[in-house]
Amino acid sequence: MTGKVKNKNKKKSQAAAVWRRLKKNKMAVLGLIILAIIIFFAVFADVFFDYETLVIQQNASLKLQPPSAEHWLGTDEVGRDILARIVHGARISLPVAFATIAIATVVGGLLGAIAGYGSRRVDDVIMRVMDIFLAIPSILLSIALVSAMGTSVTNMMLAISISNIPPFARIVRSAVLTIKNEEYIEAARAIGASDKRIILKHILPNCMAPIIVQATLSIAGSILAIASLSFIGLGISPPTPEWGSMVSTGRQYFRAAWWVCAFPGLAIMLTILSLNLLGDGLRDALDPKLKN
Amino acid sequence: MYRFILKRLLMLIPVLLGVSFIVYTILSFTPGDPVQMMLGDNYSEEAYNALQAELGLDDPFLVQYGRFIVNAVQGDFGTSYSTGNPVAAEIAARLPNTILLSACAMLFAILIGIPLGVISATHQYSAVDNISMVGALFGVSMPNFWLGLMLIVIFAAGLGWFPSSNFETWGALVLPAITLSANSLAMITRMTRSSMLETIRQDYIRTARAKGLKESVITIRHALRNAMIPIVTTVGLQFGFSLGGAVLVETVFSWPGIGRLLVDRIGLKDTPVVVACVLVLATMFTIINLCIDILYAFLDPRIRAQYKTAKR
Amino acid sequence: MEEKKQHKTALPEKEPIPSAQAPEALLDIRGLRVEYHTDEDVVYAVNGLDLTIGKGESLGLVGETGAGKTTTALSVLRLIADPPGKIMGGEIWFEGEDMLQAKPARLREIRGSKISVIFQDPMTSLNPVYSVGDQIAEVIHQHEKCSKEEGRRKAGDMLEMVGIPRARYDEYPHQFSGGMKQRVVIAMSIACSPELILADEPTTALDVTIQAQVLELMNELKEKLRTSLLLITHDLGVVAQVCDRVAIMYAGEIVESGTIAEVFDHPHHPYTIGLFGSIPSLDETAEKLKPIQGQMPDPTELPEGCAFAPRCPYATEACRTHKPEMTGVGGTQMVRCLAHQGVFESPELMEEVRHGR
Repeated sequence: MTGKVKNKNKKKSQAAAVWRRLKKNKMAVLGLIILAIIIFFAVFADVFFDYETLVIQQNASLKLQPPSAEHWLGTDEVGRDILARIVHGARISLPVAFATIAIATVVGGLLGAIAGYGSRRVDDVIMRVMDIFLAIPSILLSIALVSAMGTSVTNMMLAISISNIPPFARIVRSAVLTIKNEEYIEAARAIGASDKRIILKHILPNCMAPIIVQATLSIAGSILAIASLSFIGLGISPPTPEWGSMVSTGRQYFRAAWWVCAFPGLAIMLTILSLNLLGDGLRDALDPKLKN
Repeated sequence: MYRFILKRLLMLIPVLLGVSFIVYTILSFTPGDPVQMMLGDNYSEEAYNALQAELGLDDPFLVQYGRFIVNAVQGDFGTSYSTGNPVAAEIAARLPNTILLSACAMLFAILIGIPLGVISATHQYSAVDNISMVGALFGVSMPNFWLGLMLIVIFAAGLGWFPSSNFETWGALVLPAITLSANSLAMITRMTRSSMLETIRQDYIRTARAKGLKESVITIRHALRNAMIPIVTTVGLQFGFSLGGAVLVETVFSWPGIGRLLVDRIGLKDTPVVVACVLVLATMFTIINLCIDILYAFLDPRIRAQYKTAKR
Repeated sequence: MEEKKQHKTALPEKEPIPSAQAPEALLDIRGLRVEYHTDEDVVYAVNGLDLTIGKGESLGLVGETGAGKTTTALSVLRLIADPPGKIMGGEIWFEGEDMLQAKPARLREIRGSKISVIFQDPMTSLNPVYSVGDQIAEVIHQHEKCSKEEGRRKAGDMLEMVGIPRARYDEYPHQFSGGMKQRVVIAMSIACSPELILADEPTTALDVTIQAQVLELMNELKEKLRTSLLLITHDLGVVAQVCDRVAIMYAGEIVESGTIAEVFDHPHHPYTIGLFGSIPSLDETAEKLKPIQGQMPDPTELPEGCAFAPRCPYATEACRTHKPEMTGVGGTQMVRCLAHQGVFESPELMEEVRHGR
């Protein structure tokens, strides 16, 4: 009982130490602030901009207006406010990206744990399949998957999740392989702990650091993938205000009205930037050894 | 050494078979009936059956895949559903453009990224370092299709320096190549910097300095040479990403490469062309990774020794 | 302030040393001060160090880890990483030239050709991606005009000189054992027949049996090439084997110096006595080892008086407030201790000194 309490305290202090190191990293804090602002606007998007009237409803008389006091970022080809669409766009990109990486982390982590912990044959089969998936550039794999399954949000999410599985499997597998032979695992086994218990209680907590870093950076990658797929018409299609598809539809007009493409793209960049900053900062904070 | 290369080449075969199987399987589930698409609205039952038999679509799946592989090895990727031309010919017409674009982008990224990374490392926290690291941060975060559009707005439409969609001149290559290189340039700069920062702290750098060598010689001959392994790894990975990124950049610039072919034909449900495009790009990626592995041996005698003695 | 005074008074007394021991000083370090500046604090690594090495002479610089030995050696060639290291003051005269004032180009001419270094860890001090022969040839090409073949031949000669067959010229560091790597480093350091070799714990990282071989090699080369040697070590046995003179370093300054015979027979400084007391000896029967109590002072906060006072069994109140100066105690032997300076009397210490070893 006391052991458990102690353990909890230790974990808490570890998290506190990570947080302390993270706070020291100005760039990571900047990333965290940007991300917090983006999430804030995504959560309260409806308070600022009404979805039906501003984001979806077309208004021919207002089309392609440059940025002004009324429409800070201008209007698009059918007269919708671009800022409103961008803010509502965050409600799509962020949850979809989080969901895809959550799926990839769980599936990849489990596959990696099984590969690392299982027999040689199981390991070989899983990792060879992962190698094959890694041999296809992830955006191509996503494109192939979506074009096969048909264009829909669910299929896009599945495609992005699948193409993100291999790195997680690799991380967990190598962590398992290094930890597997440590004495405390042997000790746990000696007192009769089950494999499942060993994986959940000992091995997974020990590879949390690289997983968290990989997940943060993968969410950035996922946001880019969502935008890219939507841009070539394989993701979320209009009139839903997705950033990539906004850039895509704006393409026809952007020589005359640059703001139609520029601002949604900036939103993508800012989101990815914040996640990259945070990911780099987390990597340094979680494992000082990994720095540089 | 040669045996190692040969072995690695042989190991390509199962990987490529796996890739082709996955791609073929995925895409054969594409909804829509290609026979119906090719025949249009008016067709007879016999014509439908005849074409289906001709395309081999009435055979079991594995037979179809087997036939596809046997033909693909001979350079025959079947017939395009949408144009009726041989797929191999369509690919062959576009592939050089994609290779040209990717190679130029990577060359640009390497020639700028490595020196910039080296300077950033040897002058850590200097203005050059800070600027290039902030720039790299943006480069990593920028969607390349958006960067392409912005470059068109500024340099082609605005300043009129470059054509944005005319491929007769070399000038047309500039904007797409820069666009495609942005992410790689950023990644290579960052990796060069961090790898160099690690090597310049090594003891053998102090030894080199104690020999009386010039700083430039120490930096390049001793530090950079040892920092190359992670840099080369990044270059290889980035080459692969640039093949994927080419899909988007070619779409933006209407560049007649294999990536744009892929996007166009996905819309037309032209499965043979799509499969072939993905396969060709994945094969190139795999071969590049193999080249990187071989390059390691030239860079590091310890890896060379491993290759010589390695059993697998 | 205090340092300067001490330095002035110390110098005249030093004068007889060169005349008695070696006719001409090859390396003369005066009042060297080196600090390492980190984010939080300043590490005072070397604090007003004086050191002389004559032509053809070999000096052993002995002290615990952290005493500033390596920093001293690296300062001679200005190889201290800056940041965080900074040479704050002093002079380092080598062949009539102050190394601390030398221009980078001049420094490069001296490095490797007139003064060379043997680093502590042979495992990491060779570049893993070049063959050992080429690494030796590199220093030859840097300082001598010669053709590629000639450089190769000379580098091969050097390998043979340190007992490595010429046939292994094209092999890489990872194919050599630790002892063999150190031989390569030694070959590299003698390739341009330098006047002075700075050897920074050349045998510490090696197995005991290999240590003996490498020391023997160094002794041999020293005789053959008549090179001066600054041998840094924490092992008094090594010094006795190789050196003519010895200087004991503590917390960034020299606390005792003299010939091997002088210091080994009659150590004067309590620290030196403690050092000898903590080595097992075959002659003495069953006497318990007497390790020095406590630890080196925190180099970020050095004590005000004698740096050794907190650990010194003979220390008095004066030791905690007054900095001792180098005092001659007969022959060429000098000690930095208030008891020997005559500030206070310590019969126990004198008894210990008379007793000798």
